[in-house]
Formats: sequence, C-alpha cells, structure tokens
Amino acid sequence: MSDPESSTHFGYRKVDVEEKAGLVRGVFDSVASRYDLMNDLMSFGVHRLWKRFALELAGVRPRQRVLDLASGTGDLADRFADLVGPDGLVLMTDINASMLEVGRDRMINRGHAGNMQFAQVDAESLPFPDDTFDLVTIAFGLRNVTDKQRALEAMYRALKPGGRALVLEFSKPRNRPLEKLYDLYSFKVLPQMGRWVADDAESYRYLAESIRMHPDQETLRGMMEQAGFERCDVHNLTGGIVAVHRGFKF
Amino acid sequence: MSLRDLALEGTERAINTVIGLDPDAAERLAALHGKVIRIELSGTPINLFVVPGHDGRLQLIGGFEGEPDATLTGSPFDLLRASDTEEGVSQLFAGRVRIGGDIRLAERFSQILAGLDIDWEEQLAQLIGDIPAHELGRTARKARAEAQRLGESGRETLSDYLTEESKLLPHRFEIESFLNDVDALRDDLERLDARIALLEARKRGDDA
Repeated sequence: MSDPESSTHFGYRKVDVEEKAGLVRGVFDSVASRYDLMNDLMSFGVHRLWKRFALELAGVRPRQRVLDLASGTGDLADRFADLVGPDGLVLMTDINASMLEVGRDRMINRGHAGNMQFAQVDAESLPFPDDTFDLVTIAFGLRNVTDKQRALEAMYRALKPGGRALVLEFSKPRNRPLEKLYDLYSFKVLPQMGRWVADDAESYRYLAESIRMHPDQETLRGMMEQAGFERCDVHNLTGGIVAVHRGFKF
Repeated sequence: MSLRDLALEGTERAINTVIGLDPDAAERLAALHGKVIRIELSGTPINLFVVPGHDGRLQLIGGFEGEPDATLTGSPFDLLRASDTEEGVSQLFAGRVRIGGDIRLAERFSQILAGLDIDWEEQLAQLIGDIPAHELGRTARKARAEAQRLGESGRETLSDYLTEESKLLPHRFEIESFLNDVDALRDDLERLDARIALLEARKRGDDA
C-alpha cells in the first residue's frame, strides 16, 4: 500500500492500482440506470450547458471521425452523431459494460444508425491505429481513469495530425467563497441526494472525493503538454467547478 | 459559457418540441442531416448555425469552424416575416432575406421552418432580449393586420388589377417561370464554370 508505484486514489482512500478499475466499475454499475436523472439533479441541469460549451470548442464538422471516451449515457455522442452527418463516424465507448449498455440502448432508441458504433474500451490502452480520429473527447471520465497520463498519451496517439482532444472534467473553483459553498454541497447534500434518488450514498461520496483528488487546471494542462498536445487551453465554467481542457496534435 | 448558451439551449428545445410533434416536417428536415445552415441576424451580433439531425431535430450552435452549406442573412424583422407561410416566399424573393451558398438548401430549409407552428417572436426574444423582439413582433403583426384589413375580396381585386390589368406585378406563373429560368441559368453557369476549370487544367497539363 505504501509503495507509490502500485497505489492510487479511489476518492480519499488509497488503493492498489489493480483494485481501482474494479471499484470504479462498482460505482457505475450501481448508478447506471439513474445516471441521467442524477446528473440533472446534482448540477441543477447546468451539465447541459457545460456540454454545449464543450461542443463548440470541439469544432466538429461533417464527415469527421470522433472518438468519445467514457461516453456514459451518450449526451455528447448524441450531438456529435448529428454534427458529423451521415458520412461521419462517432465511436461511443465506455470501460463499464452496464454504462455502455444503457448508453447504447439510448442511442438506438434515439434512432442513431449508420454513423455510430459502440465499443467497450479502456481509455488507457486504446485499441485503434495511430492517427485515426479528428476529435477525441472524454467528458467527466478522466477522473475515474487509473493512470491519467497514460490515457492522455493514448488519446494523443489516436488523433490525426490536425485533430484535437477535449477533456471536460470537474476542477477547482477559482475563489474561496464558492469553494466553501461547493464543499458543503458536495459532502453534505450530494451523498444525501444519492441516497434518495439512486439509493446509493457511497457512490456519490466517491464522486465528491474523486473530484477533490483530480488534478487542478494547471496540473492537468501540464499533463496534456507532457503527453504531446500543443496549444493547450483551459476554459473555466461555473467559476471553475468544471473546466474544459483542449489540446491539439499537429 | 454565457446567457447566449442558455438562450440557445432554450430555443433549441422549444423548436425541437414543435418538430417532435410534426412527423412530416421532421422527416423533411432529416433529409438535410449533416448540412450546416448559418443564420445571420443583421444589426445584431447574433450569428448562429443550425444543423438538422438524423431525426430532424435541430442543433443550434453559436460557432462553427467549417464553411456552412448555406447562409440566410436578414434583419430580425425580415426573418420574422419570412417565417410567415404566406409572406415567406415573397420575402425571400424581395431580396430582404439574402441567401448565400446552396440556394436550394436554404429555400427548402426556410420553407420547412415556415410550416412549423413556432412562436418565433418568443424565440427571438430569448436571443436578443424581450423589448426589441416585442417591437419587431408588433410591427410584423401590424403589417399582417393591415393586409387582412384590405379584406379577402379587396385583396383579390387589387392583386388582379396589379397583375392582369396594369401589369405592374408579374403573375404567379410568370414568377415561377422566371425562377425556373434563374435556376436553369445558374446551372448553366455552374456547368460553364466547371468546363472552364477543366479546360484550364488541361491547358496547364499541355503546357507542362
């Protein structure tokens, strides 16, 4: 446990590297069916605006190929599929089978066909040739990845030259009063909400803790640069509670 | 992230609700899936891009990095009037609403939108603020009421007089035939363009 090479964070707990993926899987198996409802409740619906903002930074055009990692229930993939048009391709992925199943059913119910494919994929070891995608996105997913640096490097490799990656993730509030309020909300209100709506307080406690352990804006930008991304920029949303990191591959 | 995003989200949702209730319009919009239409509200900083999805639902986005397939430009007032089924087409042809790019796409798109039962004034209000939108809507409604006040028969007599007697205005058939001519001319021009490009390319090939 004390060996820094083989341990990582699961919320505030330190766990073995091998253990983390399984624990994260447990969290998402438990919340998959209520995921959309919880997102709306927890963020007061603001997550839609965060995603809309990310969408504009993505600059998706018809006929492009998009890899959406940790798609969840597919809010971004849904929009990308319409933006790339019938001749484009969106690959919707998740490491978690139950989450992917919920997302895939939702996409099929929305009538997506032809320009959308599904795959269970681990962001750390992407099973795609290099230089494949015009855009790689991961929205609210990087936090749960065990080795984030490796995931960023894999994303970089999968991009075509000229392509870009977007990381939409919880981050660090930019001012103290907001941070205080946000802490109160995350540690007192969220787990309670999780108990009522999804009957699972633990998973939502993990959510709050994992957000605190996630690298802040500057650290993550540094990690992206280290992975090879160029012209990296950061956009803070809702006072930095959420940030969009963008990097290009040239 | 801004109020603009909030407005776009609200407008998009309102329009898609209406489209969801109109399977015919949805089907016609779905045929435009993957096309990008830019709408420029002249006199305002608003510039938005509309992308019809696979099921006809529209995405409204504030920025697009590629070249749109078609552009509709007009003052909010003209675009409001163009969204009126009766007046719409004449608005487009009166040159108040400018069309760029794929003209047929722009025409098809605006015709489908004109057929939808959407309170455009309300949607515009979200984007540019209540008072100007209300003013615009009021002016548009006044113009419409004025036309109705002339009465059905009166209007018919007047239009008969203008088209048949005084020949001040062209007849509907004449307009249609004129538009067909314009289409033919445009196609000819495009063919000629392509031919010239081909010949030039061939000439360069010979020179080399």
